[in-house]
Amino acid sequence: MSGVKLDKIVKRYGNIEVVHGIDLEVQSQEFVVLVGPSGCGKSTTLRMVAGLEEISGGTLTIEDKVVNNVAPKDRDVAMVFQNYALYPHLNVYENMAFGLRIRKESKESIDKQVTEVAETLGLTDYLERRPADLSGGQRQRVAMGRAIVRHPKVFLFDEPLSNLDAKLRTQMRAEIKRLHKRLGVTSLYVTHDQVEAMTLADRIVVMANGRIEQVGTPMDLFNNPKNIFVASFIGSPPMNQIDAEIDVVEGKLFAKFGDHRLALADSKELGTHCQGHKVVLGIRPEHILTNAQAEADPETATNAIPVELDLIETLGSEALLHTMVMDRPFVVKAETHGDIAHLEKTSAFHFKPSMISLFDKETGDAIDHPAKA
Amino acid sequence: MSNMNLYSAGDKIFVRINMFLVAMFTLSTLYPFIYIAAVSFSTGDAVTSGQVILTPVDMTLAAYKHVLAEPMFWISYKNTFIYTIGGTILSLLIIVPGAYALSRPQLVGRRFWNMLIAFTMWFNAGMIPFFLNMRDLGLLDSYIGIIIGFACNAFNIILLRNFFESLPASFEEAARMDGANDFQILWKVYVPLSKPALATITLFCIVARWNGFFWAMVLLRDEDKIPLQVYLRQTIIQLTDDDDFASSLLEATYSFETVSAAIMVCSIIPVLLFYPFIQKYFNKGIMMGGVKE
Amino acid sequence: MNVIQSKIGWFIRHVRREWQLYLMLAPTVIWFILFLYKPMYGLQIAFKDYSIFRGIEGSSWVGFEHFYTLFGNDQFIRAIWNTLIISSLSLLFGFPIPILLALMFNEILNQTFKRTAQTIVYLPHFISTVIIAGIVITAFSPSSGIVNQFLVWLGMEPIYFLTKPEWFRPIFIGSGIWQEAGFGSIVFLAAMAGVNPSLYESAVVDGASRWQMMWKITIPCILPTILIMLIIRIGNLLEVGFELIILLYQPATYSTADVISTFIYRQGLIGAQYDLAAAAGLFNAVVAFILVMTANTISKHYSRTSLW
Repeated sequence: MSGVKLDKIVKRYGNIEVVHGIDLEVQSQEFVVLVGPSGCGKSTTLRMVAGLEEISGGTLTIEDKVVNNVAPKDRDVAMVFQNYALYPHLNVYENMAFGLRIRKESKESIDKQVTEVAETLGLTDYLERRPADLSGGQRQRVAMGRAIVRHPKVFLFDEPLSNLDAKLRTQMRAEIKRLHKRLGVTSLYVTHDQVEAMTLADRIVVMANGRIEQVGTPMDLFNNPKNIFVASFIGSPPMNQIDAEIDVVEGKLFAKFGDHRLALADSKELGTHCQGHKVVLGIRPEHILTNAQAEADPETATNAIPVELDLIETLGSEALLHTMVMDRPFVVKAETHGDIAHLEKTSAFHFKPSMISLFDKETGDAIDHPAKA
Repeated sequence: MSNMNLYSAGDKIFVRINMFLVAMFTLSTLYPFIYIAAVSFSTGDAVTSGQVILTPVDMTLAAYKHVLAEPMFWISYKNTFIYTIGGTILSLLIIVPGAYALSRPQLVGRRFWNMLIAFTMWFNAGMIPFFLNMRDLGLLDSYIGIIIGFACNAFNIILLRNFFESLPASFEEAARMDGANDFQILWKVYVPLSKPALATITLFCIVARWNGFFWAMVLLRDEDKIPLQVYLRQTIIQLTDDDDFASSLLEATYSFETVSAAIMVCSIIPVLLFYPFIQKYFNKGIMMGGVKE
Repeated sequence: MNVIQSKIGWFIRHVRREWQLYLMLAPTVIWFILFLYKPMYGLQIAFKDYSIFRGIEGSSWVGFEHFYTLFGNDQFIRAIWNTLIISSLSLLFGFPIPILLALMFNEILNQTFKRTAQTIVYLPHFISTVIIAGIVITAFSPSSGIVNQFLVWLGMEPIYFLTKPEWFRPIFIGSGIWQEAGFGSIVFLAAMAGVNPSLYESAVVDGASRWQMMWKITIPCILPTILIMLIIRIGNLLEVGFELIILLYQPATYSTADVISTFIYRQGLIGAQYDLAAAAGLFNAVVAFILVMTANTISKHYSRTSLW
């Protein structure tokens, strides 16, 4: 059974179309994350599902019922807002009970549900407090509690963690994931933070400019980005990009840029007649080898470019090595093994041909993407 | 930077002179009140001979006794309460839902409705057509006329509308998703969230009603319906021409001045009692809607 | 045709969903129509020979006759001049004082003192016009008033201020300042509260004095507010506190005190010459409208947001 189904959903403000026909099917109990830069239409899409924005075109189905013209309250969805929208004049208990009271549920039933949910979220001791007297994490929990007590068919999250500091965000992320595992409610989650998307999602929907760029599991998106946009959006630090030309030497593919030349893996899509084809090389920071590891392996020993590091950022077990390649920033993530002395000596980056992704310079699409095969 | 020790000598002088000037201005604002209070508690002779400057001379309650013994004082006081309470409640009943509706983006013709309201701030038919309209509506010389005729104004609606617009939309959206309708959203979410703005508007309404005199004077003929301010005006203007009053002054310890001062004090006292409760709000509330940059 | 149908369909759905909003709006709209727009319809009597018995529609048209009468009337011309003079003088003397007061409040460090002083200076705003008039009459009374006592103490002759045309304007404008200067400072204080504190902190680190900070930071930062308030005041130039004038003036001081509104009041509400008074009111309203619209346009230009 499908939880939420968007069929060619369009949003127009006057004559300006901001969402251009989105197709998406969220399975029941699935956790789907919409991710993209600000202004990509992800929030608008979520708000159309919530019923807070009118749908200009297409069909929206929730549990097989068309809800285009159904009021938000009758869609049986609950939403967690970016600023939580907790009523400052009501205490935690009343905030959570608000929806139930509006729906005229009995006192006992309200009490039972609120107490139960408060226990689940560890809010039992705070029920009497006003939102102003709570910490950011607690407010966040109340906002979720308010959604949970209603037992909705679908949870909608609109950047719920973006007001928290980094540490709390990590913690709440895990909590949301755990909660979803336990409650198993279909969830649609909007964020601009790809880390949140990667960690939370069963499936990620990457959006840009009111369109879906790619839908897939986190690992699928990470390993097989469909185009440069997705490639650069997913992963942190982002994928390095180098503009290059294809050079075919004795039936083997090479990428040529500046004075450098790197061997590439065989390509089904690029034949031997692609000499001079303009491409973008995409190499993930964690897929680049520094001297010590690479020189032993014949495959990578010579497949390298010489570099001079400008900066090393130490993160602990890992370090980020910064340099410029072809006038563009280039970052490598390397393991420190407890010491960065060996990294400071880095004078070349080595590349495994299979770890270099190719994108068409002109269209931005991935070359040899598995979906095309 | 509230530690004076950190200030240079020049700054210290500057701060002190400034404080002195503010104190002077404040005292000169206060002085007329003190003067009137002093007059009201003095004997007529002391006032006429110019002995009253700051404190009551020959302290007496004669003027108050005279005022409080006057049935018209009580009638007009009661009327003022009726106009103030009735008028303020009616104003809020009209203004609050109206401002809420005007603040909703989904209201069709929102621009038009807002213009309809705002236009009246710029163009006003004026005294005569308003008066004739009240007469045509049969609202002359009636409590209802005074209460309804001044229930609303563009400024208060716009003030509150701006405040509602400044609240995060997610409050409304959250309530809507929780199943609340517009009346519930307004009553259970917006009204509690808008206490400062509502307090300000309530204050404006109460003060306008309490102090209103011109239209009450014009529209009311029946003595039994006039509010305190109209009665006060009559006292100030007419006491001097009143022969009975003049002759009664011969053996009395009160005079025209002390009697009017006593009525003034009686009229100011409720304002003073009410003022501190709501004063904390209006600094904040006023700016919410008034001139926002 | 389809477009219209779908629009109608949308509108029906919309009203079905949002009818409560329109229900909430209704009292406001009805009130405005009944009490502010209906009188505008009644303004037509400015062009009619209005008779109570024949009513607004039944009265016959006389064109601009009332306007000719008005502009041939010395009293009306005098009222226009008095209005302009009184409000210009009020602007000249009354406008800077709230700004000064706000600047002074802003420099006070002792919060208790500041709050107390503010509470006191805001208070007169909430006092009724009748009481203001009462205070003025009592204080300026020829025999017993404190002002004349002071003059006598100085060895001067007492003056019957309220019968002297030359004293009317100073007294009126002075009492206006007394009543409104404190409350008027709120707007500027709020503008000052919006100034980024780090501007002052960096000035302190740079060694600026309080005086310099006032001139170099506070005043430039509130200048937009000052400009907007000034424009609003100019836009409302025809608005004179006529209620206080009605309470204070007497035939002896009409020559300096009678303004358009008091003229209308006397002609219309006391003299029952409704049509003539309505014509004067219409003239006043049209000029005021032009002034306000001009002011609003200018201030939009300055602030990029409309005033309301």
